[in-house]
Amino acid sequence: MQIEWSSDWKEGFVERLENRKAWDNWTLYKMCYDVEKLKLITDFDGLQCPKYLPELKPFPHQLEAAETVIERMNGKAILADEVGLGKTIQAGLILKEYLIRGLVKKALILVPASLVNQWIEELNRKFHIPVIQYKKAYDLNYCNIVIASIDMAKRSPHKENLYDQDFDLIIIDEAHKLKNPKTKNYEFVQNLKKKFCLLLTATPIQNDVFELFNLISLLKPGHLGNFETFQSVFSASKHNVEEDEFLKELINQVMVRNSRHDTGIEWTSRRVQIIPLEFSEEEKEVYDMISELKNVSSVFSGAFSMITLQKEICSSKEAAYLTLNEMRQKCTQPDEVAYTEGLLQKLAALQINTKAEKAYEIITQANEEKVIIFTEYRASQAYLMNYLYEKGIVSVPFNGQFSKSKREWMKQLFKEKAQVLIATESGSEGINLQFCHHVINYDLPWNPMKLEQRIGRVHRLGQEHDVNIYNLAMKHTIEDHILELLNVKIGVFEKVVGELDDILSAYKMSI
Amino acid sequence: MYPQQIHQYVRRFFIENNCPILRENEHFINVQLTIEMDKKIMNRPFYWKYVESTGDEPNPAQLTLITDKNRLTESIAGEVVHYGSPRLSQLFRVTNELGSFVQMYEKPPASQVPAQIILTPWVGVNYKITYSSHRTQETLYSLGINLMTGMIINGFQESISRLDLESTISANTFHLPYTIKPLRALERLDAVIENQIQQDDHTWAEEAQVRQQRDIRVLDYFYEGIEDKPETYESEKKAIEEQYKTKIRVEIINGGLFYLKSM
Repeated sequence: MQIEWSSDWKEGFVERLENRKAWDNWTLYKMCYDVEKLKLITDFDGLQCPKYLPELKPFPHQLEAAETVIERMNGKAILADEVGLGKTIQAGLILKEYLIRGLVKKALILVPASLVNQWIEELNRKFHIPVIQYKKAYDLNYCNIVIASIDMAKRSPHKENLYDQDFDLIIIDEAHKLKNPKTKNYEFVQNLKKKFCLLLTATPIQNDVFELFNLISLLKPGHLGNFETFQSVFSASKHNVEEDEFLKELINQVMVRNSRHDTGIEWTSRRVQIIPLEFSEEEKEVYDMISELKNVSSVFSGAFSMITLQKEICSSKEAAYLTLNEMRQKCTQPDEVAYTEGLLQKLAALQINTKAEKAYEIITQANEEKVIIFTEYRASQAYLMNYLYEKGIVSVPFNGQFSKSKREWMKQLFKEKAQVLIATESGSEGINLQFCHHVINYDLPWNPMKLEQRIGRVHRLGQEHDVNIYNLAMKHTIEDHILELLNVKIGVFEKVVGELDDILSAYKMSI
Repeated sequence: MYPQQIHQYVRRFFIENNCPILRENEHFINVQLTIEMDKKIMNRPFYWKYVESTGDEPNPAQLTLITDKNRLTESIAGEVVHYGSPRLSQLFRVTNELGSFVQMYEKPPASQVPAQIILTPWVGVNYKITYSSHRTQETLYSLGINLMTGMIINGFQESISRLDLESTISANTFHLPYTIKPLRALERLDAVIENQIQQDDHTWAEEAQVRQQRDIRVLDYFYEGIEDKPETYESEKKAIEEQYKTKIRVEIINGGLFYLKSM
């Protein structure tokens, strides 16, 4: 093996021997040697970073994860702890360790735009790692640790700028967004050279096991075989993972996952319940009329628009109205028009919203404690704000599209002034609300991991109370079907990835 | 490093660099920087450029470092330093920069003054060897070579640190001229290090090779049967090669010429 000799010292020594420069101070000489002894990395194994971070106080599961990734996984891993266990801290520890050991000089961190500042802040403050936010004008040759939003990074000319750099470590947050190999995001990451690589996601499987295959194939292509072989083994029935144990073992070689219970930390409990609701007569009539639409007009025959409308009416008439009104414009036959018009009128005339009433009831029973409501629709969000306002309850809205300052402002308002925060789906990432412990899932998403993300906003480190989750579902509607599918998906996740904290209800269906 | 050690370190650092201590207790220190030290650690080149071009009165900064914020009872505005903090790392770097080369003479004991004392010349060098693949390990070797006899000893720094050394030679003390030139001596010490490396256990490198081959096999499997392998195949392969690339690096921390009586 080649030995690399550094010749700097020799040159300086010659200069002193020839009296061209002055000799140095003996005390500083000794101090320097003592510091080197102190900093010396005497072992290939073990973590150096904790002694450099005396203020940090990481949890044992975080240190253990960092060690596992570096020693057993050789620096290529999926960090898949449950939401709220501090994956950023794990990534920070690993990055710090590699920087200390000199194995990483340049690193690239890719995150959703809304989390850029949070990452910069944490790495700076907790890890003393200076991070530079990517700007086109900067010369990347002089930037060591660069952070960029993945949506920006994947576009030209940024893409090419980043490809030109020799990054030693790539960190990708919210990596479940890379589940689809046909997207630009996926392609961008696939073409990045990944010497060391960390993918962070609490939800490596959202719908099926192929998502995990795609994720692992980004990290370590071939680890789960190639697509054909994987498909032939696992796709016979999409949700029926037969070779569980084998697959699980392979996955465990590249993935670290802690559930709340593994951490040894005292967690407050999570009380999850499904609250089945019955439509009122009027609502039922409208729902049935909507379900009939596909037999009335070809405009509504597409399964997708049908399901959308059914889901919307389970939420609020406001949510359904927009879609229905739009589709009504496409109707041409007089009988179609008449039926739809009639439906729209009935819809407009609806006085009762059973779900909203239930939500109100839960809020009043919460004894003035803070409540978060998650809905899928902006129209329902607006409706609920108004509805609660009439009942004398102040609420604030929250959307992912809000700017950073507006989000901070809303969070502040919620903490200090309003009892209720009403968030749409896109609001469920990167906001931490440990001061609240009631969550109403007003609408159910198709994807159980979205529920987990929502709950993770409040049930995370720092939560002091038991957390109450209320999943509202209308009986005898599409929401029955959603519930069933959610259960199946949770089952797949648990078989392949591991235990999942309760998100739907305390009782799990076995599949 | 305990807060106390850090305090001692910082204190000595500024004293040795002629920066007067204005105020301190055991948990904080307030110093007046010299112009040189300000330029080295305060990171304000534009200020110094301005002062130099306008001929203004230079006004080097004062610096307050809090070495133990948990015990500090006074209300002091200053930078908190701890092991790993950027400021302390910077002072470590400056220490290295200002403490790399020495020429030292052993001081005769006070009782022995009348007799003539002859000192023997030595070259002492502190080496750091780094083994790295996807992991790293470092070793320090402090070697010294007698420039008269060519004898080499290990643990040189530890041996001389207990001696009373000074940067100028004492009265009535003389040193022998060396028979081995310092640069030649350095080559001999380098050879000792090289020999040491050859004798070391290199299982770490073999393990890295095994892991590399295994990971490349996994990669090949992914692209099996594909005639024209895409660019990603080549970049992944390159990444794996870099990930496990074995390297041995030798650096010299510091070293110097020593004229000694006791060794």
